[in-house]
Amino acid sequence: MRRAARERVETAALLAPSVVLLAVFVLLPLCIVAAYSFALRDPYGAVLPGFTFDNYAELFQGVYLLVFVNSFKLAAATTVLCLLIGYPVAYYIAFKAGRAAPALLLLLLIPFWINFLIRISAWVVLLGRGGLVNGALQASGLTDAPLGLLNTLGATLVGMVYAFLPLTVFPIYAALQPIDRRLLEAGADLGAGPAETFWRVTLPLSLPGVLAAALFVFVPSMGVFAIPVLLGGGKDIILGNLIVQLFLEFRNIPLGAAVSMLLLALSGLGILAYMRALRRVEAMR
Amino acid sequence: MSDPSDPAVAVELRGVAKRFGSFTAVDHLDLAIRAGEFFTLLGASGCGKTTTLRLIAGFELPTEGHVLLGGRDVSEVPAFQRPVHTVFQNYALFPHLSVLDNVAFPLRVRRLSRAEQRARAMAALEMVQLQGLADRKPSQLSGGQQQRAALARALVNEPQVLLLDEPLGALDLKLRKEMQLELKAMQRRLGITFVFVTHDQEEALTMSDRIALMQGGRIVQLDTPTGLYDAPQSLYAAQFIGETNLIAGRVVSSGAAGTVVETLGRRMTLPPSAVAAGDAVTLAIRPERLRRGGGTDAPEGRLEELDFIGTDLRLVYRMADGSRLVLRQQNDGGPMPTPGEAARIAFSPRDLRLFPTDPERTPQ
Repeated sequence: MRRAARERVETAALLAPSVVLLAVFVLLPLCIVAAYSFALRDPYGAVLPGFTFDNYAELFQGVYLLVFVNSFKLAAATTVLCLLIGYPVAYYIAFKAGRAAPALLLLLLIPFWINFLIRISAWVVLLGRGGLVNGALQASGLTDAPLGLLNTLGATLVGMVYAFLPLTVFPIYAALQPIDRRLLEAGADLGAGPAETFWRVTLPLSLPGVLAAALFVFVPSMGVFAIPVLLGGGKDIILGNLIVQLFLEFRNIPLGAAVSMLLLALSGLGILAYMRALRRVEAMR
Repeated sequence: MSDPSDPAVAVELRGVAKRFGSFTAVDHLDLAIRAGEFFTLLGASGCGKTTTLRLIAGFELPTEGHVLLGGRDVSEVPAFQRPVHTVFQNYALFPHLSVLDNVAFPLRVRRLSRAEQRARAMAALEMVQLQGLADRKPSQLSGGQQQRAALARALVNEPQVLLLDEPLGALDLKLRKEMQLELKAMQRRLGITFVFVTHDQEEALTMSDRIALMQGGRIVQLDTPTGLYDAPQSLYAAQFIGETNLIAGRVVSSGAAGTVVETLGRRMTLPPSAVAAGDAVTLAIRPERLRRGGGTDAPEGRLEELDFIGTDLRLVYRMADGSRLVLRQQNDGGPMPTPGEAARIAFSPRDLRLFPTDPERTPQ
């Protein structure tokens, strides 16, 4: 009994720092934002104490719904592109790279050592009128004049895929890597060509990784802010810059808080959907 | 070399070599496996038996030489287009598919109708008595059941040749014995050519019509089980197959009338052999060909160990010249010898196999 009590104290002591950290820096601010989302405001932007659902009701107006749709589209497009590009990369590293695999995985990580904003700013330079991409296009004779690559949806997607690609490669690699190679031989042995073996064996076995990758990309993509502003010119309002505008420009803190809470709820839904899908995939085996 | 169009040859290897970098796994192998035969590739690990099987399956392509299946050169044909199926060492059942879907996999690949897939897969499962477990996942089966499921999956397409890569290695002894008999019976009934890989010589002897004993990527001896056991052509074969006594000897004279050898302090005449007087030789004799008792001309030894095996007694004698002889006799209910007891050990010279002494393999 004494020993059990001591173990409990030890566990509590070990957990305490992270619990305190999370409580003070995540849970508490979250509660404050939640409280703000039900608060009132005066015409000059000051938050007034009170309780109202008006802020949430306002979100269901057309303008804001459009913002949600825009965000959803961008996140979905980013997720699909990341999976389409990331899967072959992960496949190559897991099955074909051999001893070069650890080095390739490291190469994927290296850009993360550089500040995110600097990396995205680099794309501004690359895609700009005098940038490397336009320079190369003109030098090769494909175009005569510089193209307006920047401030387009394409530029936004390039930046999004660039930022989130490693988050797709790693979980898919982690799912592909442990697949027993003899299962692939068994597929071939039983008459399935490479494409069919992939479709019937490799892909189903790697689905948990694909689902995790989709989650890792989709959820942060919904709240992304800097990339669409820097590369897309902020033309399509999405959730991330809507929140920034509401807080900083329109000084409508309660409404901004409500948008934030809704975004959080959507992310939660995304995680729930992931867990349900994962359970279904796991039940398949 | 046999005629390539000979329908009696199911699998043929012609001068097949397989190298991985500087390592030669299979070294210029010539081999013809007859249709309907239970053929075993036997050898210690690293002898090239599994690589040979993988060359037939198409998982490896030969560095040199040709692989023929039913007379057709398939050397460059990928695995999925070859009319052979494999039972893998650890079964390689698809973990995400049910037992039924696993067995139906090759039928689905062939785009058979759903109804036919199901009917034939169920028939294959019935053949291995797994019909009641069709909807389970492989992870819910025992080792023996997984083995049967893998067998059903490999047989459902009625391949010309079934390749089996140490399929019984993961089973416990009793189940392994059962499966040996079952596999053999199934092979006879279906008339399919089985190419079986094992390192277990007893398993090979029990099941095979013919055995290729391999070492260092080459076939040391290709023979029937009785041939391999009773007439090993090399010291390696004599030692690898079954238990054998190796006794040092010296050639006294060698001629057309026979070879006279001195061993265990006795002289005996063996059939003629390509050795010269004065050569050091190794004589091999099976433990069950030795008898206790014998005339005064039989060498004498002292019992050192006695193992009671149930049906048999295994007796280890230390001979007067220091060599050690293992003797097996049936447990016939007679009085049990006691350790320390002296006995004369008799045997017939025709049960001795004579080999030139390999300096790397000196007996005791």
